[in-house]
Amino acid sequence: MNKSVDLLQGTLEILILKAVSLGPLHGYGILMRIQQISDGRLQIPQGSFYIALYRIEHKGWLKGEWGESENNRRAKFYRLTAAGRRQLESETKKWSEMTDVVQGILSATPEQI
Amino acid sequence: MIPLSTLGSWWNALFHRTRVDDDVETELRFHIDAHAQQLVDSGIPQADAERISRVEFGRADVQKEKYREAIGLRPLEEIGGDVRYGLHSLYRKRGSSLVAILSLALGIGATTAIFSLIWATLLHPFPYADADRIVNTNLVDEAQSATPLPFAIEPAEFDSLQKAHSIESVLGFFLNGLTETGTDIPQDVQAAYVTGNMSSFLGVSPRLGRSIQPFDAPDGQPSSNVVVLSYKFWEQRYNGDPKIVGKLLQLNHSNYTIIGVMPRRFTFTESIGNADVYIPWGSNRSPDLIPWIKLRRGIGLATANAELQSLLIQFRRETPYLFPPSSKLRVEPIIAPYVQRNAGTLLLLFGSVVLLLLIGCVNCSILLLARGEARKHELAIRTAIGGSRFRIVRQLFIESLVISAAGAAIGVALSFWLARLPLQLMPQAFPQESAITINLPVLLFSIGLVFFTSLVFGLYPALRLSRPNLSQVIQSTSRTTVTQSNRFTLNVLIGLQITLTFLLLGAAATSIAAFLKITSTQLGYDPRNVLIVGLPLKREMNPNWGARASYISRVREAISGLPGVVSVAVSQRDIPPGPSLGPIGLQVSFEISGSRSQQVQLAAISLVSPEYFSTLKIPLLKGRLWDQSENQRGDFVAVVNQTLAQRYWPIGDAIGHQIRIDSLTNDQAPLVAASPQSRQQREIIGVVADSRNDGLDHPPAPAIYVPYTALMEDYTQLIVHTANQPLASIKTIQAALHSANSEQRMIVVADDLEASLPRQPIWALHRVFTVLFSFFAFLALALALVGLASTLAFAVAQRTRELGIRMALGAQRSHILWIVLQTTLSAVSGGIIVGLTLNLFTERLLRHWMPDSMSSPWMLAMVTLVFLLCATITCFPPVRRATNVDPRQTLRCE
Repeated sequence: MNKSVDLLQGTLEILILKAVSLGPLHGYGILMRIQQISDGRLQIPQGSFYIALYRIEHKGWLKGEWGESENNRRAKFYRLTAAGRRQLESETKKWSEMTDVVQGILSATPEQI
Repeated sequence: MIPLSTLGSWWNALFHRTRVDDDVETELRFHIDAHAQQLVDSGIPQADAERISRVEFGRADVQKEKYREAIGLRPLEEIGGDVRYGLHSLYRKRGSSLVAILSLALGIGATTAIFSLIWATLLHPFPYADADRIVNTNLVDEAQSATPLPFAIEPAEFDSLQKAHSIESVLGFFLNGLTETGTDIPQDVQAAYVTGNMSSFLGVSPRLGRSIQPFDAPDGQPSSNVVVLSYKFWEQRYNGDPKIVGKLLQLNHSNYTIIGVMPRRFTFTESIGNADVYIPWGSNRSPDLIPWIKLRRGIGLATANAELQSLLIQFRRETPYLFPPSSKLRVEPIIAPYVQRNAGTLLLLFGSVVLLLLIGCVNCSILLLARGEARKHELAIRTAIGGSRFRIVRQLFIESLVISAAGAAIGVALSFWLARLPLQLMPQAFPQESAITINLPVLLFSIGLVFFTSLVFGLYPALRLSRPNLSQVIQSTSRTTVTQSNRFTLNVLIGLQITLTFLLLGAAATSIAAFLKITSTQLGYDPRNVLIVGLPLKREMNPNWGARASYISRVREAISGLPGVVSVAVSQRDIPPGPSLGPIGLQVSFEISGSRSQQVQLAAISLVSPEYFSTLKIPLLKGRLWDQSENQRGDFVAVVNQTLAQRYWPIGDAIGHQIRIDSLTNDQAPLVAASPQSRQQREIIGVVADSRNDGLDHPPAPAIYVPYTALMEDYTQLIVHTANQPLASIKTIQAALHSANSEQRMIVVADDLEASLPRQPIWALHRVFTVLFSFFAFLALALALVGLASTLAFAVAQRTRELGIRMALGAQRSHILWIVLQTTLSAVSGGIIVGLTLNLFTERLLRHWMPDSMSSPWMLAMVTLVFLLCATITCFPPVRRATNVDPRQTLRCE
């Protein structure tokens, strides 16, 4: 496994948690919601999306339950667990710290050194 | 910590596979359909939309794989796959797999059996609480003999013993023979008087009712008349009556209430004698106590020993009559006598089964290597297309694990039966309370063996086969001949196996030789139609020396007049062939008048009547035996055996010399009656032939025979020579005794002296050795031959084409034979030479551990011969196949 995939997987996990935190959704809905919020700028590879989703559920951050979709089909709806909420909070904090640091470095000018 | 949901999804994925797969598929289908619907909504035709959606997402079964990978089940799945593949490839090669599994099963079975035997008889033989801290104390009198005396003390001393620093608690007991009264015939009942702390000290719960408690033996008051039965007595006397508690048992004319029954495994105290019943101790019952001491946690034997020796000095000042002046205490754990007697035997057996296991492992290695040779191509291709070495090693290793697990399953079942064998062959050599069960430590041990064996036999082939020389293997295809180095490895393994087998064969040969020596011993007496009965004498009935002497003489005459009885002799203690196993020989010192020798002169003293020699057919060589009047007097005469005569009078005549035996005295002991001048000078009046008196395994000890009236204890024995089967006479003897004295108890010491020979511990010990070693050696031989045969067959199969070409070019059959056998022969002869050399070393070891074993070059020669014969027969089929190769066929089938 190379490094960029790792980063993407980590990022994808926060995005999924965030999407579900706005309200329970089925897998396709989560994908749609992320794309919709990002205004279609983020293309998520469909294969890795489900791997990330399964892993999050396996870790106990999401709980999947079978229900009826809007067009009356059996679908698995995910909702955030308490552990998932804590994970989302800490990951969000970590992420914003990270972007601050990276932003700071990237916007550095010669005078600052 | 692993969250519950994680465990849940693993559980579901493993055990509800279909449901989980269905769920994944449903979710995926929903996703694909939803995506297609979206595409349709954006204006793409239905059919195209579905196709695009499906292409974007991929196949459903791939998704299931992804799910499993996402939750981290992949390594498990792979191992599962390896196990299935392993099972499959084992099944494909059924024959060789079966050989491998059975080879291991025998090794694991034997090793587990001996381990559980060691566990049950040496590590955990007793059912008592904290048995490892319980010690036994014996008095050892350095001046007199090697016979330890029981450490009997008085109640006051018992109390001060309890206060010792190193001691946690003390259990006191005393054995006493009682008679069950109130029945038609008085029955012997061996009673143990036990202090009130029996229950808490031993920690064994009774099978029925309750055990003896402190309130049964209150301080300063007579103890209550209650009795706890042993399991054996309960079974024999009451047929295991479950409602026995509360009933009465009459002993010596007083009634005891039965309060409980002990479990079967409880046979306290076997170190001294088995008790039938347990009665609370009280000073009204016995003046003395023998202590069993439980040391405090963390107190070493040396500390306890030092404290007890100083206590002994104090006790000797208080009660000098209980302790001989030069005696010391010997403190040892209750298991010590068994360790001393059996540890060597068991370790030796364990060593031999480990050898057997190793031979089995080598067999497996050979089979795996041979099989791997055929799979070389497959493995090379896997490596070529990028299979990792780790996975190949893991797969090969799992295959070995499957073999050894299967072997262990059969082996453990086998061991259960095998472990009982020594106990059945030699029950008296082990603690009676040891029970062989399949328990956790034994199971853990055998599981450990599985991993150990698979490492031993599987790792080398796995590492070797996983690094194929790609270019060579793939280029050569199947036409290859076996690589030189592999053939070398196989031959080394064969050599190793033969060496190990020879070690075992050597051990078996030595033990057979030792057993043959024991069984062919010249006894020096005639055991046929002889039985021995023991007569406990009541003190109040024979108050003084004269009354006791005439009572014994009267009883002897009453028995000798019975029909079917040829002759009857009195022998106070001797039971031919005498002591065995351990230093319990009763050799005491004596003096020769006029001798200036400074050395201690030792002899076994036998207190017998003059009929002793004719009853056991021991011939008189010189001089005469004492007559009846001398027998009644007891003093002034003695007869010696040939060994003694030759040792002290190598030239000249023993007859007429005067000797003196200092220990022939009662030392004011109330239970012993000595003749007036028992320790004065005695004249040697006769010399008799030697007979075994120091066990079957030792040469006859110097012996002095004196009239039994010289020293009479509260017990005597009659040796009865009958005309026919001695067993039949027991009833008549009992009846005659009963009519002579209705209170006289009788103990059958040996119901048939000849039949009791194989029950001699030394005889049984050697028999166990012989049976087990021969059995293991036979298995080892079989395994080694299988290994040899499979190597040869493999070599021939691999070289068929080469042999075909050689024959086509005109090679003679003898030449082909030589080619096939060449390397194997060198391996076999190498193994034999190393094996024989090692045997010279191990024989010294064997002689150390095995009592009375002997070197047996002719046995080894025979073993070599047998091995060569078997090897030739085993080699015949593959060799025949090699020489019958038809060149036309082999060349065409390529």
